[in-house]
Amino acid sequence: MVRAEEAARLDRLESQVENGGGGAEEYLCLVRKLKARRSDKVLKHGLSILNDPKARSKLGGEEWTLYEQVAFAAMDCQQHDVAKDCIAILSKEFPGSTRVGRLEGLLLEAKGAWAEAEKAYERLLEDNPLDQLIHKRMVAIAKAQGDLSAAVNLLNKYLEIFMADHDAWRELAEIYMSLQMYKQAAFCYEELILSQPTVPPYHLAYAEVLYTIGGLENLQTAKKYYASTITLTGGKNTRALYGVCLCSIAINQLTKGRNKEEKEGSNLQSLAAEALQRDYKERAPKKLPLVISMLKNMKLNS
Amino acid sequence: MAEDLVLDTAIRDWVLVPLSVVMVLIGVLRYFVSKLMRSHQAPDLKVVKEGQVILRARNLRAASGFIPAKSFRSRKTYFTNEENGLLHVPKGQSQNAQAQMFSDPNLAMDMMKKNLSMIIPQTLTFAWVNFFFSGFVAAKIPFPLTQRFRGMLQNGIDLSTVDVSYVSSRSWYFLNLFGLRGLFSLILGEENAMDDTQRMMQMSGFGFDPSRSLSAEKDGIDIIQHDWALPKMEKRAEDALKKLLK
Repeated sequence: MVRAEEAARLDRLESQVENGGGGAEEYLCLVRKLKARRSDKVLKHGLSILNDPKARSKLGGEEWTLYEQVAFAAMDCQQHDVAKDCIAILSKEFPGSTRVGRLEGLLLEAKGAWAEAEKAYERLLEDNPLDQLIHKRMVAIAKAQGDLSAAVNLLNKYLEIFMADHDAWRELAEIYMSLQMYKQAAFCYEELILSQPTVPPYHLAYAEVLYTIGGLENLQTAKKYYASTITLTGGKNTRALYGVCLCSIAINQLTKGRNKEEKEGSNLQSLAAEALQRDYKERAPKKLPLVISMLKNMKLNS
Repeated sequence: MAEDLVLDTAIRDWVLVPLSVVMVLIGVLRYFVSKLMRSHQAPDLKVVKEGQVILRARNLRAASGFIPAKSFRSRKTYFTNEENGLLHVPKGQSQNAQAQMFSDPNLAMDMMKKNLSMIIPQTLTFAWVNFFFSGFVAAKIPFPLTQRFRGMLQNGIDLSTVDVSYVSSRSWYFLNLFGLRGLFSLILGEENAMDDTQRMMQMSGFGFDPSRSLSAEKDGIDIIQHDWALPKMEKRAEDALKKLLK
């Protein structure tokens, strides 16, 4: 997660570099640190540094990291020749290195040669069976080929060893969602919530999965998680506000026969409805009538 | 008798400063030598997996209030199950960790290297200090001390009437030994601020003992009561919204 101040600094540096002011190395360093994906800018400025022998020698040891960064950016922008040159220079300097081997595998992936890329990665895995990045690349290959079930299998095997890697859990959750395996996706989101309990997106996603699965207990739990998202974001998350309203309606529909005392629920629901209306009034006043009529319908149905 | 001894400034120039400089240089030298000698230990699959299991178990303990009770229970059984729970270590294995550590040649060599790299420079410097810089008063400690410290701080000075605040250079050596950690962290970068005190503490603990931490985590999870925080969240969301709408 990028902090706001660092993101602002990144934008500032980017505009400065774009407009001809110096500071390209600082910008590239910051991009590397924050793992931001600004491949076209990185490619442009990185290449300008690398092609200038004076600037290159000023970098010293950082030169090789810059080559790696530019190779990544080139592959992202589909400029395979540039990437190939960078990788060739790197492999001359560091022969037999795993990191360079990974870049070569990435280049094969970028060109679409899946089988060769897989073979290259398997060779690297023989020497370093515990290299996390290579495992993740194998999953990415499976996903890119559209073979989601193979990707799921690979990710599960990866997570059996590296079970504290929350990025992998997030990826697995997304794949499960796209495969509509909601219960498994819910499990993954639980893992994410366990590892980072104060991050609102995970609560929101978990609530949405529960709401999708349906059933009274799940709906009630989903409503609670929408509520926790509201708490964590101070009421500013529109989706959570909608979620609360919709959950309340669904619960009321399911419990129409029995006389449950969801009095507290209606309090939250009306507050959420009010907050929604105010939000729309401030940010999208044209859509406000739609929202009001929709909420009225919901109150009628409940 | 509390008369004030006047110490020659030459002592400062030729004893205190050179001693500090020498210790800093030796520390830097030791750091570079250890970097050269560090053998790359390929991570063992079992060790990595156990480390990750512990992390996950710790997360479970910390945030157990945020997931529904059913999920918590299923995870609890997954971890602490008597038959194939992740954290369950059969009794026979737990004793072997230390024996294993000694029999594994790589680990033993590593430990020996680390110990040696610390002991040898310390011994040499100490002997050097004793040989060259003994027999005179080196410095005055600014606060008064009791008589107990006399033996430790004044070992070269054989006068029993000198105030204990006047110490020999051996105590200056010890002061530097424990105090240069801050300086090393400035010179060598934050992670390398290891000085001798930390190494000495590491020597006594025999490194990573996985089975003990696994059973510790298991007990931790067994104890935990699931306190679902989510129902309170509804109330809190109401309050947050009320505040927002005010």
